Amino acid sequence: MIMTNTTKCTIETRNIDKIYQNGGEDLKVLDNINLKVYEGSFIAILGPSGSGKSTLMNILGCLDVPSRGEYYLDGINVLDANDNELAQIRNQNIGFVFQQFNLLPKMNAIQNVMLPLLYRGISEAECSQKAVDALNRLGLGDRLRHRPQQLSGGQQQRVAIARAIITNPNLVLADEPTGNLDSKSSQEVMKIFHELNRKGHTIVVITHDQEVAEEIGEIIYIRDGKLYEN
Amino acid sequence: MRPSCIVKVGDYLQFKQLIKLILNNIFQNKGRTFLTTLGVIVGTATIFLVVAIGKGAESQVNEQYAQLNVGTIIVSAAQRGPAADPLTEEDATRFLESSNIDYAFPMLRGGGDINYENFSYQGSYSAIYPEFQTVNHLTVYEGRELVEEDETEHNRYAVLGYELANTLTDGNPAEIVGKNVTISRRKFEVIGVYERIGDSSSPMGYDDAALIPYSAAQRYLMGTRTNPTILAQAKDIDSVQSAIQDIQYILDETHRAGGSDQFRIMDAGSSLAAAQESARTLSLLLLSVAVVVLIVSGIGIMNVMFVTVKERTKEIGLLRAIGAKKNEVLSQFLIEAVLISLMGGIVGVIMGFCAMPLLDYFDLPYKASVNGVLLGVTFSTVTGVFFGFYPAWKASGLDPIEALRHE
Repeated sequence: MIMTNTTKCTIETRNIDKIYQNGGEDLKVLDNINLKVYEGSFIAILGPSGSGKSTLMNILGCLDVPSRGEYYLDGINVLDANDNELAQIRNQNIGFVFQQFNLLPKMNAIQNVMLPLLYRGISEAECSQKAVDALNRLGLGDRLRHRPQQLSGGQQQRVAIARAIITNPNLVLADEPTGNLDSKSSQEVMKIFHELNRKGHTIVVITHDQEVAEEIGEIIYIRDGKLYEN
Repeated sequence: MRPSCIVKVGDYLQFKQLIKLILNNIFQNKGRTFLTTLGVIVGTATIFLVVAIGKGAESQVNEQYAQLNVGTIIVSAAQRGPAADPLTEEDATRFLESSNIDYAFPMLRGGGDINYENFSYQGSYSAIYPEFQTVNHLTVYEGRELVEEDETEHNRYAVLGYELANTLTDGNPAEIVGKNVTISRRKFEVIGVYERIGDSSSPMGYDDAALIPYSAAQRYLMGTRTNPTILAQAKDIDSVQSAIQDIQYILDETHRAGGSDQFRIMDAGSSLAAAQESARTLSLLLLSVAVVVLIVSGIGIMNVMFVTVKERTKEIGLLRAIGAKKNEVLSQFLIEAVLISLMGGIVGVIMGFCAMPLLDYFDLPYKASVNGVLLGVTFSTVTGVFFGFYPAWKASGLDPIEALRHE
C-alpha cells in the first residue's frame, strides 16, 4: 500500500485477521490487514484507542500471532517460527521503543542498553563498548552510569532508543514513543527517529496523536481494525 | 521461506552473564534474600548437626561394645536382687563341657566409694577371674595384671581402670601402683593400672572401674551368697547360637526349680546390633525433622520467588520483547532460587559448626562428618531446585504482551 522507491519489503502482511473470543462471541480486532512497509521508510500508524493499533503493533513486533493471514518480516515467514525462533527474530530484526520506556530500574544506562546483545551471547566487554557508542551517538555520553530514575523522561526515552538500535535491526517499532514526554523532549525524540531513518532504519510509529503523525508525514489510518490510507 | 534458514537459534545468554544478572538481582534485595535463606540456613544446620549427633551416638555405641568380643555370652539372673537359685561357679565350669564354649567364668559387679588419700570416687568394681582380662583385651599401662595365683590366694589386690586411677591421683595414674586404696571401706593394694580403653562414657566401662580377684571379693566384700553373672566365650561367632542352646540345656538340668527361664542369656553381637539399630533409628528420626524444616523453608523460597516473579513481571515482558527465550527466563529464576538455597546451605553448615560447642555444653556426643556437610548442602540445593522450578516455570510462561502491560 505504501510505495517508495525501494522495492524490498521490511514488513509485508497479507489478509491478517485477529479475532478474540469474548464470551462465546467473536470479536474481530483486526480485519483483513494488508500492509507493506518498504525498507528505509518512516510511517505513522494513526488511530484512536480501541482501533486495534496495539494488537497490530504486537503482531508486527512478533509478540502475538494473527488468527488468519500471513506475515513476512525481512522476508521471513514469521508465522512458521516457533517460540525460540520468534525470540531470536525479536532480538535481531526488531527494536522496540515503548511509551513507558520500560528500562530496568536497577540497571544503569549502559546495562540497560546492552541487554539485547547480552541475550545474543556476546561478551560483556563487547556489549558494553557498543552500548557506550550508542549512548554517545544519542547525546547521553555524560549519563552512562545513571540509573533511569536519575534521568529525565526525554533522556530515559533516548536510552530506550539506544537499546532498540544497538542490535542494528532493520525495523524500529515505536508505540506512542512521545506519549509520556513534554513537547521539547518529544521533538528531540522525533528528530532522533528522523536521523535513524536517514541512516537506513525502517521506522514504524504507532500513535493516536495527529500532530506526531503529521510530523512523520506518511500516515496510515486504522479504525475498527481496518487500515485506510486517508 | 522457513525462518530457520535465516534465523540462527542457538545464540544464548552466556552462563557467566546469566549468573551476573542473577547475583545483581539477589544483592539488590539483600534483606529479602536474607529472610528467604534463613529457613534454609536453619534447615541445613539442623541436618548437619543431626547427622553429627547420629554419628556420635553410633560411634558411642561402637565404642561401648568395642572391648566386648562379639562371641561373648552373658548369663545373668533375670531379676535383680537376691535370687533363690543363683548362678554359681560350678555352672561356669559345666558350661565349659560344651564344645562350643572356650571360656566361662563368673563375675560380680558392685558399687561403692573408692578412696585414695584425700580423693574419693563413687565408682564400681568388678570381681573377675584372670581370663576376663584376656577376653576383654585389657592390658596394663603400669604394674601388672591379675593372675591365677591372686585368685587362689584370695589376694586383696586391685587393678584400676585408667580414668579411675587418673581421677584418684589427680592426673598421675602411675603413682598409685603399690599404694593402698579402700573399696567400700575395705583395703586393697593397687598392683596395676590398665591402658585407657576409651569407654568411660559407657555404664559398663572398665576405665572407671576397679578390678579385683573374684575370691577376694567374695571373702572381703560380698560374701558367698552372691548372685554372679557368668561370662562365656563362644568358640567363634558361628557357634554363638549353639553355645546359647548348650547353656540353656545345662541350666535346665542344674537349676531344676526354675530352669533356664530364671536367667537372661544375652550375646554381645545381638545387643550390639540392637544398640546400633536404636542409634540409627534416632538419627533417622532427627533427620526427618530436619527434612521437614527444609521443606518448610522450601515453601518459603517458593513464596518469595512468586512475589519476585510478580514484581518483575514487566521486566520479564521486556526481556521477552528484546529476545530472551523462554528457557533463558526459566533458568534465570530457577538458578536464582538455587543460588539462594545453596548460599543458605553453605551458611547453614558454617552455623552448624559454630553450634558444636553448644552440644559439648549439653554433653551430647557428636561427630562432624563430610557426609553431614554433603547431605546438608545437597538437600538445600535440591530444595531450591524443587521449589524454585514452579515459579520459574510460571515466569517463563508469561505472555510477553500481558507482562509488558503489567503495572
